Amino acid sequence: MLYRTAGQFKTSYQADQALFPVRQDAILLGIILAFAWVIFPLTASEFTFQTLLIPILIYSLAAMGLNILTGYAGQLSLGTAAFMGVGAYACYKMVTIMPWMNPVVAILLSGVFSAGIGVAFGIPSLRIKGFYLAIATLAAQFFLVWLFEKWAWLYNYNASGAIQVPNLKMFGVYVAGPQADSMVQYFVVLAIVTLMTMLCINLTRGNLGRTWKATRDMDIAAELIGINLMKSKLTAFAVSSYIVGVAGALFVFMWRGAAEPNLFDIPLSFRVLFIAIIGGLGSILGNYLGAILIVGLPVVLNTLPAAFGIPVSSSMVEHLNIMIVGALIIFFLIIEPHGLAQLWRLIREKLIIWPFPH
Amino acid sequence: MKHFTRLAAAAVVGAVMGTAAVAQELYAPNLSYRTGPFAATGIPLMNGQRDYMLMLNARDGGIGGVPVNFEECETGYSTEKGVECYEKTKGRAIVTQPWSTGITLQVLPKTNVDEIPILAPGYGFSPMADGKVFQWAFNTPASYWDAASMIVQYLEAEGSLEGKKIAFLHLDHPYGKEPLPLLEKLSADKGFEMVPIPVGLKEMQNQSAQWLQIRRERPDYVVMWGWGAMNAGAITEAVKTKFPMENFIGVWWAGHDADLKIVGADGAGYKSISWSYPVLDAPVLADIKQHVVDAGDSMSNPEEMEGVFYNRGLVISMILAEGIKAAQEHTGNAEITAADLRWGLENLNITEERLAELGMTGMVPPFQTTCANHTGHSGGWMLEWDGEKFVKVSDLLMADAEVIQPLEAEKAAEYAEANAPWAVSETCDAES
Repeated sequence: MLYRTAGQFKTSYQADQALFPVRQDAILLGIILAFAWVIFPLTASEFTFQTLLIPILIYSLAAMGLNILTGYAGQLSLGTAAFMGVGAYACYKMVTIMPWMNPVVAILLSGVFSAGIGVAFGIPSLRIKGFYLAIATLAAQFFLVWLFEKWAWLYNYNASGAIQVPNLKMFGVYVAGPQADSMVQYFVVLAIVTLMTMLCINLTRGNLGRTWKATRDMDIAAELIGINLMKSKLTAFAVSSYIVGVAGALFVFMWRGAAEPNLFDIPLSFRVLFIAIIGGLGSILGNYLGAILIVGLPVVLNTLPAAFGIPVSSSMVEHLNIMIVGALIIFFLIIEPHGLAQLWRLIREKLIIWPFPH
Repeated sequence: MKHFTRLAAAAVVGAVMGTAAVAQELYAPNLSYRTGPFAATGIPLMNGQRDYMLMLNARDGGIGGVPVNFEECETGYSTEKGVECYEKTKGRAIVTQPWSTGITLQVLPKTNVDEIPILAPGYGFSPMADGKVFQWAFNTPASYWDAASMIVQYLEAEGSLEGKKIAFLHLDHPYGKEPLPLLEKLSADKGFEMVPIPVGLKEMQNQSAQWLQIRRERPDYVVMWGWGAMNAGAITEAVKTKFPMENFIGVWWAGHDADLKIVGADGAGYKSISWSYPVLDAPVLADIKQHVVDAGDSMSNPEEMEGVFYNRGLVISMILAEGIKAAQEHTGNAEITAADLRWGLENLNITEERLAELGMTGMVPPFQTTCANHTGHSGGWMLEWDGEKFVKVSDLLMADAEVIQPLEAEKAAEYAEANAPWAVSETCDAES
């Protein structure tokens, strides 16, 4: 009914290959964008901005970066948090050395540094695969966090060893630091995430995305049909690390406001990996769904007892929360091992043929 | 679309919570950590804080007749959760108690914009003592630099430190690095050699590498800035390597009874500097027993209630309660605002007489805060583990203000500059 595709004829190859061959998809996306750009900013409280909207967007972006590498190009990585750290520290150094720099430009440039580091650590992928490659990226994880701790220049010789985001202005408005308004930060994050998402969708649908998928599905076959594996793998590492680095810079500059080296340790890598896996590897939408489940749901669950006036101690809520979210993750992975994105894909298929399934 | 309705629902919940009407109460939330890797040390502190406030509510009907809503928001010591709790509570809270150096670092710049006092008793950033720069931050009654200075003084009393070697075993984390600038300065002034030995967060439980280094370096003393699992790890390792326990001194967060009960009599001689001391026959404990424990409201147990950490929790809540009381008397309103509480915390005067009235004589040294001095520099006592419990082994030690103050002013100015524009207090001068 809602998703009836009857009557939507494709009369050219271009129409058939369009981003949204089904009109309803475009409408749905339009509604979501309207929510994100207009309705949420008008209705959300500061709490919602700081604990739901901004972190969900940033985690989605980080997971999207990882998804390019792991979901599309098939290279398993456990070093995501370290590459986020490279982005964050690069951004910090840029804005402290050049305070006149536009913060958004600094954030977008900081991805370049993590892309470089990502390519360097991606070189072993030419020789090793699968779990062995995961161990190589794990080495990046340990080494980079160690570097963030020991190289005092990175945190400007601060006694506490942490980086603190200064107040940064763009066009006369504070966009980063304690003086910045949450709504402004939300719009900056939303704009960058929207831009990156568009970039990712188009990259993965294009020539580069197809070579990545071929590499993922069977690298020997890909090589035989003339795909340069080195180019394919290293571009995947570069693009992935770039996006992850930008997410890392956003993570510290638009949300956390301060960071110590161990923030970028393995737990963060795993968190991003879980988002990508539960959302669905090899999908863009999945990153958002995964982030909503893993980042957003616990926050909402935490507020529920108080909202309904149930007297439960907050440590009890925390324990319940861990159990509920854990159970949900297992539940979703059992009913759909390919992630939430696949679940949505199936629902959509069913909706298209509803109410007359074959 | 399901997820978006969920998000929208969350937005509504958040909006409603922000504007909910408040009954007459003093909302003083605590960002507790009863879960996670540091829960063992958190629970006694949280219980102490909570029991004191419950006692005030039961005995006096709150402070100035207004009950205290001492709600806990669970962080699990995670910075992310801590910021979530801060955002959740800041709308109507009169104070924020962040309870971790990581959360303090994140929240500190925000409180200066949101104008909420941040109460971090005995932790956080040492330069917070400079009340002109850190208008909203309080680390009463003593800072980490005070602790380092007092420990060095205590060691000096045993003999000159000239040419001696002190190993500084610390958590490789903002918290552990905090006393480094002062120790470096003291080592230059007093002529002792300081060897920093960092313990990574992943190595807390297994410190064999660090203790091997200690054995090789043969320091005269080991000073420890440890927390959570690191303390028990270091103490068991020291016993194992037969390091003389009387030359092993920890900061106040490294003086948890449960960590030493593991080694028992083997740990005798271990010392910890502290600004709080459990006085088991203090009238305040009798009141807590009568109004909270016997009413079945306490989450603590008799063994825990004899420990240093539980009693420190009591002192922390006392500081907050005294701040609220001072603010009420100053403004004449029973229901005070965050700005009023700042005045209250800036005008604390905890004298011996006041401690006697509170029934807490000997539990904390007397101290006084001012607009320019947000720490109070109470000084502290050296406690020693006698094999079963901690006992006082020194008179009141006072930190060397002449060394600390210039450093505080310097670092505070640096912080303000890095965070420009940073609102500083114009009204108080250095002397007052």
